[in-house]
Amino acid sequence: MKSNLYNHTFFISIIAALLLCTNGTAQENDLSNFKMRFDFKTVKQADNSRLLEVTFIALNKEDRKDQPPVYKAEIQFFNIQNDEEILLGSSKTSKEGVAQLILPENQKYNIDGEGYINLRARFNSTDALSEEEEDLMVKDLHLDLNLSVIDSVKTVTLTAFTIDSLGVKTPVNDVYVTTYVKAMLSKKNIDEGIISDGEYTFAMSQSFAGNTKGDLTISSIIDDNDEYGNIIQEKTVHWGTFNKQIKTDENKLWTKAAPIWMYVVLTILLLGVYVNFIYTIVNLFKIKKEGSELEIKKEPYRNT
Amino acid sequence: MNIESRKRELFKEFAPRLETTSMLTKIYIGFLIVIILAGLYAFYLQMSEGQIVTGMRDNVVWGIYEVNFILLVCISYSGAFISGILHFFHTPWKTAIARIVEIITVLSLLIGPIYILLCMGRLDRLHYLFMYPRIQSPITWDIMAIITDIVACFIYLYLTFIPDFAILRDHCEERNIPKWIKKMYKTLAIGYQDTKTQRNRLHKITRTMSAMVIVLAIVAYSVLAWIFSLTLQPGWNSTIFAPYFIIGGLFSGVAFIIITMYLVRKFYKLEKYIRRMHFKVGGIILLILAMLYGYFTFTEYFSRWFSHKAIDTNLLDKLFTRYFWEFILANYVGILVPIGILFFKKFRTIKWVTIAAIIALVGVWLNRYLIVIPTLETPYVPIQDTRIDYLFYSASWVEITLSIAGIATFLLMFTLIGKIVPLVPMNYILDGRTAPDTVQNKDNKKISE
Repeated sequence: MKSNLYNHTFFISIIAALLLCTNGTAQENDLSNFKMRFDFKTVKQADNSRLLEVTFIALNKEDRKDQPPVYKAEIQFFNIQNDEEILLGSSKTSKEGVAQLILPENQKYNIDGEGYINLRARFNSTDALSEEEEDLMVKDLHLDLNLSVIDSVKTVTLTAFTIDSLGVKTPVNDVYVTTYVKAMLSKKNIDEGIISDGEYTFAMSQSFAGNTKGDLTISSIIDDNDEYGNIIQEKTVHWGTFNKQIKTDENKLWTKAAPIWMYVVLTILLLGVYVNFIYTIVNLFKIKKEGSELEIKKEPYRNT
Repeated sequence: MNIESRKRELFKEFAPRLETTSMLTKIYIGFLIVIILAGLYAFYLQMSEGQIVTGMRDNVVWGIYEVNFILLVCISYSGAFISGILHFFHTPWKTAIARIVEIITVLSLLIGPIYILLCMGRLDRLHYLFMYPRIQSPITWDIMAIITDIVACFIYLYLTFIPDFAILRDHCEERNIPKWIKKMYKTLAIGYQDTKTQRNRLHKITRTMSAMVIVLAIVAYSVLAWIFSLTLQPGWNSTIFAPYFIIGGLFSGVAFIIITMYLVRKFYKLEKYIRRMHFKVGGIILLILAMLYGYFTFTEYFSRWFSHKAIDTNLLDKLFTRYFWEFILANYVGILVPIGILFFKKFRTIKWVTIAAIIALVGVWLNRYLIVIPTLETPYVPIQDTRIDYLFYSASWVEITLSIAGIATFLLMFTLIGKIVPLVPMNYILDGRTAPDTVQNKDNKKISE
């Protein structure tokens, strides 16, 4: 018997070609379809160390959602003074395309005449990718967080200043700061305002339970300031107001008497039903009474 | 035709069955009595020896007694529900089946609770239930619901009997009926003369009671389901158990009514009144209920399977291994086969509808078995180092005998009631809804087919 497959030569050929084609891919991986994004930022952290971070990803020009990170790309970080590059360190990008370098609190930086630290991040070109470089300049801001109880009011005081080469502290002005309480998964904004004359104070109006020990972690953040960049300062304080549950939840089903609503509902239900029974029986007696009267009158049975 | 002569004619039609008992009926009654006596012996054994003569042990404290209890009580509730609907909405074809449904309701409600008493290890402490009730306990609610429902069903059944008792009282003098029965007719007829005021009064209270039994049936169904679902046991702790029980109960109740209709029609020769139309309508109702019941059953098991709780998984594993065939018969054959039969118009004949009803009833019994026993065999804290028969349940001959004795008691009481009153209410026929002359048409021809 001749197989039916022979009747569909065209379709069979296409299927066979698709199955046997090993070079075919769903999408062409041509780098010309991508443009590179190289973002450099610095964050002064709560322990006064400085984080230098580069995000290195490719962006598909046609499909915005397609943003593959550049993995294992070596990024070099420099401190620049008078066009001279002083290597601070290097780091390779992670699977997310992020390279980080943490510089300790006591790291010495060269600063320019205006008090700025000039930083540079660079990726040296390879066969596949061209060189990428980005500079930024920040002033080294010192942010202190003071948590104290003044007249029974939990008070948060922030002081912000810069220190020049002679060690003179200069208070800062017009710096926007936001304060949060850290939670398990996110942080809750409790206040925001502007530092003037190097100080900002506010009273905590809200109560928080804190962790199991009753501790709260309060975090103040200056975010993406033109002059000072990103600064985080945080402290933990025993300000948690843990509300202990005074009333224990009792199982009402194990009490001697049932909850009152149960008696009410059951009584209404049963009364409703049994009143109807009585009503029915009363009516039956009325039927009986009428029947007895008819019998007494000795009238023949009527059918009306 | 004069209504008085019509009454006489109807009495003449039904009287022979009331005044004479054939030899075959006597043998049948004797056979039922023998079974009941065997049941009484089993009961005596259980009382004297204790629960050890049953299959119930530490884990499985409810066996087939509980299964029978649920099935019978659900049949009763669904009987009350259907009977209430038939009366309340003046359903035109109620004439033929109303009395059968009412008798089923009362009898199953009388026999069903006996089974729950048989589950009790210390029957001598039964009165404690009334002396020290805990209002918080669903068991107490169930006792209240059952007692209230028994009273309601008795009153309701009696109300529907009164006009027939009056007809029987007025015409029994000329017939060869025992004196005590004549006296009973007179007493129970309570002087009902079918006057306009008496009739209106009776209609009013019957209608109110019919509405009440519908509500009571729903409440009692739910309370019965709560006995299970308010516990944390796997397979029981479910929010949909009450509606599931209502649908399952109605499904088994309709199936039971169809089977009884078939038997009554055949053995009491009531083809003139219980017609193919009744089976057709019953079949359609059974089909709808089967689909609803199937949907609820699927939802119930699917949510358990999806939850992946260890205890539920253990239960489902048990259902698909140890109880595999019971599970298939209960939840596949017991639901899908009746749907398959009743879905096709050509199968909605008396015979096929009855077959579908038998399959459905057996399926529901097995479903109840699978609700009660495997759950009790899957405790949260298993007993350590014990005998296998303490972990798993199998019914003993005592339990099986008492179960069969329950069926025999039901049949005997049904037969005896059928010896006292006609199984088709004469007063409904007189109401003209199913006068025999209206049956003499081509539909009647179909009956003889």
